[in-house]
Amino acid sequence: MSESEQSITVDEAYEQDNDKSIKFLRPRFHAEAFPTVQIFGYVGSLVLTFAAYFLVMNHVLPVLALLIIILTLAALQAALQLGVFMHVQEGRGMAWQIIPLYLVFLIAFGMVGMSIWIMLFKSGVS
Amino acid sequence: MPSFVPYLVHTLFPPTVRLPDILLIDFGLICAGIGVIVLLTKTRRWGWLWNDWLTTVDHKKIAILYLIAALVMLMRGGIDALMLRAQLALPTTHFMPASQYDEVFTTHGTIMVFFMGMPFIFALFNAVVPLMIGARDVAFPRLNAMSYWLFAFGAILFNISFVIGGSPNAGWTAYPPYTGLAFNPGPGENYYFLALIIAGMGTTMTGINFLVTTLKMRAPGMSLMKMPMFVWSTMVTSALILFAFPPLTVALAMSLFDRLFGSHFFTLARGGMPMMYVNLFWLFGHPEVYILIIPLFGVFSEVVATFSKKMLFGYPVMVASIVAIMFLAYGTWVHHFFTMGAGPAVNAFFGLSTMLIAIPTGVKIFNWIFTMWGGRIQTTTAMLYQMAFIPVFMVGGATGILLAVVPADYQLHNSYFLVAHFHNVLIGGTLFGLLSGLYYWWPKMFGMKLNETQGKWAFWLFLIGFWVTFLPQYLLGLKGMTRRMYTYPLGFGWHDLNVISTFGAFIMGAAFVVLVYNIVWSLLYGERDLTGDPWDGRTLEWSLPSPVPEYNFPRIPVVHDRDAWWAMKQKGQSLADLRPEDVHDVEMPKNSPIPFLLGASFFVLGFGMTFAWWPIAIIGFVGIILCLLFSGFDYNDHHHLKADAIRQTEATLGRLQG
Ligand code: HEM
Ligand SMILES: [Cu+2]
Repeated sequence: MSESEQSITVDEAYEQDNDKSIKFLRPRFHAEAFPTVQIFGYVGSLVLTFAAYFLVMNHVLPVLALLIIILTLAALQAALQLGVFMHVQEGRGMAWQIIPLYLVFLIAFGMVGMSIWIMLFKSGVS
Repeated sequence: MPSFVPYLVHTLFPPTVRLPDILLIDFGLICAGIGVIVLLTKTRRWGWLWNDWLTTVDHKKIAILYLIAALVMLMRGGIDALMLRAQLALPTTHFMPASQYDEVFTTHGTIMVFFMGMPFIFALFNAVVPLMIGARDVAFPRLNAMSYWLFAFGAILFNISFVIGGSPNAGWTAYPPYTGLAFNPGPGENYYFLALIIAGMGTTMTGINFLVTTLKMRAPGMSLMKMPMFVWSTMVTSALILFAFPPLTVALAMSLFDRLFGSHFFTLARGGMPMMYVNLFWLFGHPEVYILIIPLFGVFSEVVATFSKKMLFGYPVMVASIVAIMFLAYGTWVHHFFTMGAGPAVNAFFGLSTMLIAIPTGVKIFNWIFTMWGGRIQTTTAMLYQMAFIPVFMVGGATGILLAVVPADYQLHNSYFLVAHFHNVLIGGTLFGLLSGLYYWWPKMFGMKLNETQGKWAFWLFLIGFWVTFLPQYLLGLKGMTRRMYTYPLGFGWHDLNVISTFGAFIMGAAFVVLVYNIVWSLLYGERDLTGDPWDGRTLEWSLPSPVPEYNFPRIPVVHDRDAWWAMKQKGQSLADLRPEDVHDVEMPKNSPIPFLLGASFFVLGFGMTFAWWPIAIIGFVGIILCLLFSGFDYNDHHHLKADAIRQTEATLGRLQG
């Protein structure tokens, strides 16, 4: 909650306290334009989802190729969501939003990797 | 008479919800409902209810809403527990049929974890975290209200199951294939999945909200290493929530798809993989048990420092250990299903990783003890809970380590030994922590103290009742009694221990009654807190008057030290010497009906889906879309509190100079 007096422009705020080493995170508040990017993002995310669904349901590809392709689609989807809807590029001050992203990689890959290891039931006799 | 009426009656009120005790409860609920409506109308309180509570976005009021819900759910879960213990007190008792026993233990577990523990924790988060970090609200106030209403309507959906349609009966873990349609027709499990998905969304949003709040909203000067321990625990808990709830939501949604749309994720037929559910559930489940304890580590860290009149011992180590626990908590989930047989390498790995958690936990225990060491300890009720927690939690942790020994777990898994273990940590850790926090922060929330004498009665009853209930259960587990059995024959040598255990459960029931009496009595006659700092506290929330005005801080404080308020007091400073020219207009979030309506729409959607009545579900869905659209385009979401109004409030509180 900011005090309504001293109002500074976004650029001034950026100059004052942004971490200059992460330039791409330049804040973009209040850009009142038609949300073209968001609409394309929305359609794109639907396309990616249905593409994966179609590939799996119709068995058009051999398993290995299928796996590679849906994982790629998933990565694209994640990038799209983060970039378009989750505003990773916006922020003021320290780029706190980046730290949870590292966590995501660590934990998500850990979880998925270990789950595969567990569910293969291949560690020795069982 | 249209022909669908018998169908409707049969679906909504099958024989399982027409047991005499349930009919009695129905009657009671209807009377209570009518009573409340009449009371509200007579005292003309509807507007007050709507404007001040149902549409509020103020974190302090949301805290109270969470607290009320949590206490009501503690009562409901507690009654369930007493029913279970009554059944088990003697061999071959049939006070409840097996099917009802299953429903009651399922309801008990689910309510205590999701609808008592979680909201109670969020009540404490909401009540004090913004105050501790010197902020005027959480980062996203409206989202906060949405979280609350999603939780509340999820809870309502879950709670109506026993009077409408039938309760879930597959345990709080809801393992397939028993939750599949083939074995479990009827709406019960649908209630479970939908209620938890809805409440879980609210929880995830709370996690995001408090992560952002603690990262971005701290007062100037409060660096990470100057945050109070409770704020650290909030941050870590939020991070755990953020990564633990998605696997749960996915597992629940897939189970629901199996039931409603004929998919085969976890069925036995058509290549389904029930064991994958178990994996996903515990991927969430183990972090969840830490979500239920880490906030209370935070509470105890505040309480022990305040009432020992010393700084928390080894603060940096406390931070390091809590962060270590966060990471380790993600790497131990297989210890809940060693017996599934993933193989020796997997089991050995997860057995070891589980034992590792004991190290940072042990570090914390030592630090609390060293904080008390040489301190001037004041045995207030909050502090009594803290002191009882240490030995109780150590026993719970030690039996956890025993369970983490894989060969031993093959013997102890799903026995009463396990039941005793998790109640040991959940009651001795979570519940004691929640109550400690309740007694500690009550003056801040309500402006009066809870009566200490009555509080100590409740404490001793809880503590004694706890040991009397659960010590025998360890022995029962070793004697081979398994969990979730609805009765047992004479001659196994189990009955004497079971009688003792049930006796203990009723002592805890008495403790709860004393607690409620204590709360009601104190609301009526409790000692007012006029200073705002009744315990001679250390952190910023005690620098404010109790109860705290809407805007929290007329001027955001600047923090120089770790126990900021204590340090200010040492230097003879105070926040009560505001100069009129320091007060400016303040931007505050505006109340909104959207969160409530959104929750209600989710409830309609959930109810429709539970019975697969799609028109109703669609109405709910449309409601959700409308709420989201409206909220998205609603720019009129804040207002300016005028400096004059603030000056006036502060002046009446005697906190303004001149
Ligand atoms: C040093 C700490 C701990 C260790 C080593 C530990 C270990 C374990 C193990 C190995 C099990 C599985 C036993 C089995 O199913 O056979 C278990 C179950 C459980 N633990 Fe712990 N635990 C610890 C702390 C906690 C805490 C802090 C909580 C919650 C506040 C907790 C709550 C539970 C619950 C709820 C279950 C049973 C879940 C179910 O099957 O329904 N534990 N614990
Ligand atoms: Cu666990």
